[in-house]
Amino acid sequence: MDFVFQGLALLLAPKTFLVICICSVYGLFVGSVPGLSATLAASLLIPFTFFMDPVPALVSIVTMSAMAIFAGDIPAALVRIPGTPSSAAYTQDSFALTQQGKAEMVLGVDVVFSVIGGLMGAVVLMSSAPLLAEVAMNFSSFEYFWLAALGLSATVMVSRGSQVKGALAMVLGLFLSTIGVDITLGYPRFTFGNVDLLNGISFIPAMIGVFGISEVMRNVMEKEMSFAIARVQAGKIFQGTGKLLVRYKVNVLRSGLIGTFIGILPGAGADIAAWLAYAVSKRSSKEPEKYGTGSIEAIIDAGTANNSCLAGDWVPALVFGIPGDSITAIVIGVLFMKGLRPGPMIFEQQPQIIYAVYLSFIVANLLMLPFGYLAVKTSSQMLRVPKNILIPAILMFAITGAFAINNSVFDVGVLGLMGIVGYFMEANGYPVAPIVLGLVLGPILEQNFMTSMIKSEWDLTLFFMRPISAILGIVTIIVWLFPFLATFLEKTKRNKSS
Amino acid sequence: MGTKDYIGGGIFIALGVFIWSMTLQFPALEGGHPGPSLFPRVLATLFIFFGAMVVFHGWKSRRIKEETPAEEEFPLNKFNPILVIILIAAFIALANKLGFIFTGAGILFILMMKLRVSFFKSSIVSILLVCFVYFMFAKILRVPLPIGLLGW
Repeated sequence: MDFVFQGLALLLAPKTFLVICICSVYGLFVGSVPGLSATLAASLLIPFTFFMDPVPALVSIVTMSAMAIFAGDIPAALVRIPGTPSSAAYTQDSFALTQQGKAEMVLGVDVVFSVIGGLMGAVVLMSSAPLLAEVAMNFSSFEYFWLAALGLSATVMVSRGSQVKGALAMVLGLFLSTIGVDITLGYPRFTFGNVDLLNGISFIPAMIGVFGISEVMRNVMEKEMSFAIARVQAGKIFQGTGKLLVRYKVNVLRSGLIGTFIGILPGAGADIAAWLAYAVSKRSSKEPEKYGTGSIEAIIDAGTANNSCLAGDWVPALVFGIPGDSITAIVIGVLFMKGLRPGPMIFEQQPQIIYAVYLSFIVANLLMLPFGYLAVKTSSQMLRVPKNILIPAILMFAITGAFAINNSVFDVGVLGLMGIVGYFMEANGYPVAPIVLGLVLGPILEQNFMTSMIKSEWDLTLFFMRPISAILGIVTIIVWLFPFLATFLEKTKRNKSS
Repeated sequence: MGTKDYIGGGIFIALGVFIWSMTLQFPALEGGHPGPSLFPRVLATLFIFFGAMVVFHGWKSRRIKEETPAEEEFPLNKFNPILVIILIAAFIALANKLGFIFTGAGILFILMMKLRVSFFKSSIVSILLVCFVYFMFAKILRVPLPIGLLGW
């Protein structure tokens, strides 16, 4: 119980609380502007977290991401453009209801059910993470190798578009992680005599490049940089949400659990949670015909799921050091930057930090009520911020942020190069999130593999000798074979039916 | 995606071959076991394997595309992304000589003008914004941003 109070004290320290408030506004702003994602916001935040203590650094990401995921609902309802990909599943329904004159109801539902979803996710995080951490205490390099492999494989499985392209993006991230001095002999790999490359590709400029610069490059191509916005009377937004909560309580519980479960799966993020909750909701609804034409039930389900997913994403990140999505990949980078090693030991060595993170989910979600109300009230102003000024400002922050990490223009070069890579890959249908996950998990994967191989004297069968390692290994191999099995089964089914 | 897949897949195959060839120079562990070369070689193989799959997919989708009419594309400013990269390169080349304030303000001004912000607005916003970024990073976070001509 002491740790809870210590965590609370850390969280409510004036400096930390100020960070929470600033990041709330930042998250709401970025989430409300179509085209800017929560991941971009997190990547731009990292240079600032570099100069913060661990608790405010972690809490800033929690708060910002929770607010940004909710705020993505605002342009979805008002201009039919999701602010972040997490709101895409129910954009059509939100906008259809706005056109029917129910914008206030939609935005009220967005705020309230985002809060409920976020709180549900926090409860699951607080109850499951310590239990899983106890299990993880028995893990050796074999289990960690399989976990990293499973996390990467799941990322590819759930990546948008072609899985093969997702796999290539992941392999690219893994390859980038091999640049620099190797862990077995200290041999410099792929450095071409460049001293700056000896320590490897700096994670932060690479990540800001992949997410930030590529997004800037995409946005500057657009000729239209303003939106036609529906008017909202913010005073009425919470009217009737209580009745909806009573009516759809089962939906809320189900979607909260779906979201959290998707979050716990390595690689799957809030957008997938929203789509899945939407699909389940439609299937079990009494009014499935309303979906896509203005269903408040759809908005409740998917809106609850995407926010509950956020806390779920932190479970594998904190317990195993395996990111749940691209934002928690950034979180792992921040943890390493702060000298903290994510994994079960962190629960024993720095429990007050872990409790502060738990509590930050609760505080951030409760703060979403007043901040969400204000965001809705100022939504028309936020959506009017000219993008042709905002985008150059993001570029400036990205360049300065990349420079600030090592005070070196070399990192600005990495930023630009990764921006080009991210831009061209996305333009050709390659998802970019697996690059970052590969970059984060690459050293974990290689180090645990090499340690295991040397320990086992190059006997691969030992990867399947320990019970948990064997289970993880088999699950990973099934995930690898799944696309081939699915194609085979589909062909067999088609042949039978024809 | 037909031609794009050929090019994309081809680039990844070439990268895989390049990585393989580079690893031939890496030393081995005691007993001849692969050390620093093992992981990159696995990745090189995966690049070649998945790259070939993308090329194959491109070949398949090209055959389908020949039968379907081309989609109409939205008009886009295709030069602007290149400008972003040029501006980043300009920062790398000029920041240490001109300093952060001048280089940053120049970058902001050029990009805003290109995005059709008025001359007056671009000038004011770029000066204010670069001063704000300088204040945030140099004064609050104590990052030694390049001094350059101003000698601050």
